[in-house]
Amino acid sequence: MTNRRASDFVVGLTVLIVTAITIGGTLWLKQADLGGRTRHLTVRSRDVGGVSLGNPVVIRGVRAGRVEQIALGDDNWVVLKLGLDRDVEMPKDPVVLLAASSLFGEWQATVTSRDAVPGDRALLAAIKEAHTGSDTLAGAVLPDIAQLTAVAGRISGDVAKVAERVQVAFDDAAARELRESIRNFAQLSAELARTVNVQSRNLDRISTNVQTGLTTINDAATRLNTFSSRVDSATSRGELQTIVTNSQNAARELVQAAQNLKQITDRLDRTESSLSRAVSRADSVLAKANSREGTMGLMINDPSLYQQSDSLVRELRALVADMKKNPKRYINVRVF
Amino acid sequence: MSDDTKTHTTMRDYVSAIGRTTRTVIAPIGSGARFVSDVVGAMRDVRTWLPEFSVHARILGVESLPIGIFIALFTGIVLALLASYSVGDLVPPYFVGTLVQKTVTLELAPVLTGLALAGRVGANIAAELGTMRVTEQIDALETLTFDPMSHLVVPRVLASAAMFPIVVAVAMLVGLLSGWAASLSLLDISTPQFLKGVRIFFTSFDVRYGLVKSASFGAAVALIGCRAGLTTQGGAQGVGRGATRAVVISAVMILVLDAFWAVVWLTNRTLK
Repeated sequence: MTNRRASDFVVGLTVLIVTAITIGGTLWLKQADLGGRTRHLTVRSRDVGGVSLGNPVVIRGVRAGRVEQIALGDDNWVVLKLGLDRDVEMPKDPVVLLAASSLFGEWQATVTSRDAVPGDRALLAAIKEAHTGSDTLAGAVLPDIAQLTAVAGRISGDVAKVAERVQVAFDDAAARELRESIRNFAQLSAELARTVNVQSRNLDRISTNVQTGLTTINDAATRLNTFSSRVDSATSRGELQTIVTNSQNAARELVQAAQNLKQITDRLDRTESSLSRAVSRADSVLAKANSREGTMGLMINDPSLYQQSDSLVRELRALVADMKKNPKRYINVRVF
Repeated sequence: MSDDTKTHTTMRDYVSAIGRTTRTVIAPIGSGARFVSDVVGAMRDVRTWLPEFSVHARILGVESLPIGIFIALFTGIVLALLASYSVGDLVPPYFVGTLVQKTVTLELAPVLTGLALAGRVGANIAAELGTMRVTEQIDALETLTFDPMSHLVVPRVLASAAMFPIVVAVAMLVGLLSGWAASLSLLDISTPQFLKGVRIFFTSFDVRYGLVKSASFGAAVALIGCRAGLTTQGGAQGVGRGATRAVVISAVMILVLDAFWAVVWLTNRTLK
C-alpha cells in the first residue's frame, strides 16, 4: 500500500511538472498573448506571396509582432490576422506590404504609411483595390527576389544587345578611319596654317581697299563741297562743265569703291567659312589627341616620351662629357 | 485409385496449401486484434486496473526518464553540429535553431526515446509476464477467476501510453536545451539567434504531433510486450525468446507507426 501511495505521488508529480513545462514552453515559443498585450489587425490582400504563420510584422524596420493567421476570404481575397504589441504606435493611414526579408525565403509584413508606399503603379493599384475604408487594412505583395531577378535578367539582356550593336558600329573600319584621322592631323595643321596665312593677306588687302575707298569718298566729299561753293558763280564764270566732269569722276570712283567693298565682303565670307572648317577639324583632331588615342595623343599626353627624350639628352651630354674627359676610351688611334 | 481421383486429390492439396498459408499470415493479425479487443474490453473494469496504474506508470515512465534525458542530451548536441555542418554559410546561423527544434520535436525525441523504451519497457513487460506464465502464476489467477487482462495488461498498457508522452516531452525540452547550449558554446550562435530560429517556424502542432505519436508508441510497445509475455512457453529460454521478440517487434512497430502518423498528419500540410 505504501509503495502504491508513493508511486501515486511520484507519478502525479512527474505528470504535473512535465505538463506544466510542456504547456509553458509551447506558449513561450509560440509567443502566446498571455497578458492581453497583443492587439490584432486584419489585413486583406489578393495574394500573400511567401508569408507564413509566425513571420514577423515590422514597423519602421523594427519587429512589432507576428503573422497569426492566414485564411482565404470571399471574392478571391486572402485575409491575414496580425498580432502586434499594444504599445506600438501605428503609422498614419497604414497599409501592409508583404515582402521577402532575405534571400532565403523568409517573408515579413511591413506596416507602413500609405504615403511611404513605393511608387510602383501595380503596387499602388493593388493597395487601392484592397482598401476597404473600415478597420481592415489594405495589403499587397512587393515583387520578390525571383521577380526582381527576372527583370534584372531582361535588363542585362538589353545591355548585352546594346553592347553588341556598339561593337558592330565600332568595327575595324571605324578604327581604321580613326587612325587615318589622327594620321592626317599634320596635313590638316599645315593646311590650317596656309589658310590662315592666305586669309591674313586677304584681310590686309581688304583693309587697304577700304582705306582707299574711304579716301576716295573723302575726296569726293571735298569736291562736292567745292562744287557747292562754286555753284553760286558757276553760271557766270563758265565752270559748270568742270563741275559736271568732277561729279562724273566722283561717281565712278564711288562705284569702284562699292565694287571693292563687295569683293572684300565676299572674301570675308569665304575666309570665315574656311576658318570655321579648319577650326572644327582642328577641334576634332585635338579632341582625339587629347583622349590619348593614337600616336599624337600619346605624344601629347604620355609624359614618358618627354621623360625618355630628356633622359636621352642627359645621357648624350654625359657621353660627350665623358668623351672629352676620356677620349682614349672611345678613340684609339694606333699607327702600328 | 483412378487417375481422376488422383488429380482431384492433388488439386485439393494445392487449395489446402493456399488456405494454410493464408491462415498462417492472417492468424497473428486476427489473434493480435482479438488481444487488443480483449484489452479494450478489460478497460471497463476500472476498479481492478486503476490501483495498479501508478505503480506501472512509475516503473515504465518515471524510471525511464533518465534514459530519455540521456538520449536527448546528446541528440540535441549532435543535431546542432550537424545542422551547422550541413548548411554552413549558405543560410543564416539561426536556421540551426529551426532545424534543431523541428527535428527534435517532430521526429527524433519521439522515435529515439520510443526505440530506447521499446528495449526497456517492452523487454521488462515481456520478461515479467513471461516469467509469470512459465511459473503458472497467471494460470493460478485464471483459476481464481481473476482476469489477467484487467489485472496485468490494462494497467501496463495505459501506464505506458500515458507516460511515454511525458518522457518524450522531457526529451524534447532537453534536446532543445542541449542544442541551444551546443550552438552557444561550439558554434558561436547567440541566444537571440537560436531563439529566433526556434520560434520563427514553431507551431504548437509540432508538440502535439510528437506527443500523440509517442502515446501510440507507448501503447504499441506495452501491448506487444504483454502479448509476448502471455504467450511465453518453455521455461527460462522461452522467457528470453519472448523478451527478444517483444523488443524486435516493438522497434519495427514504432517505425511503422511513425510512417503512419507522418502520412496521416503531414501529407499536404504546410506551415500555412
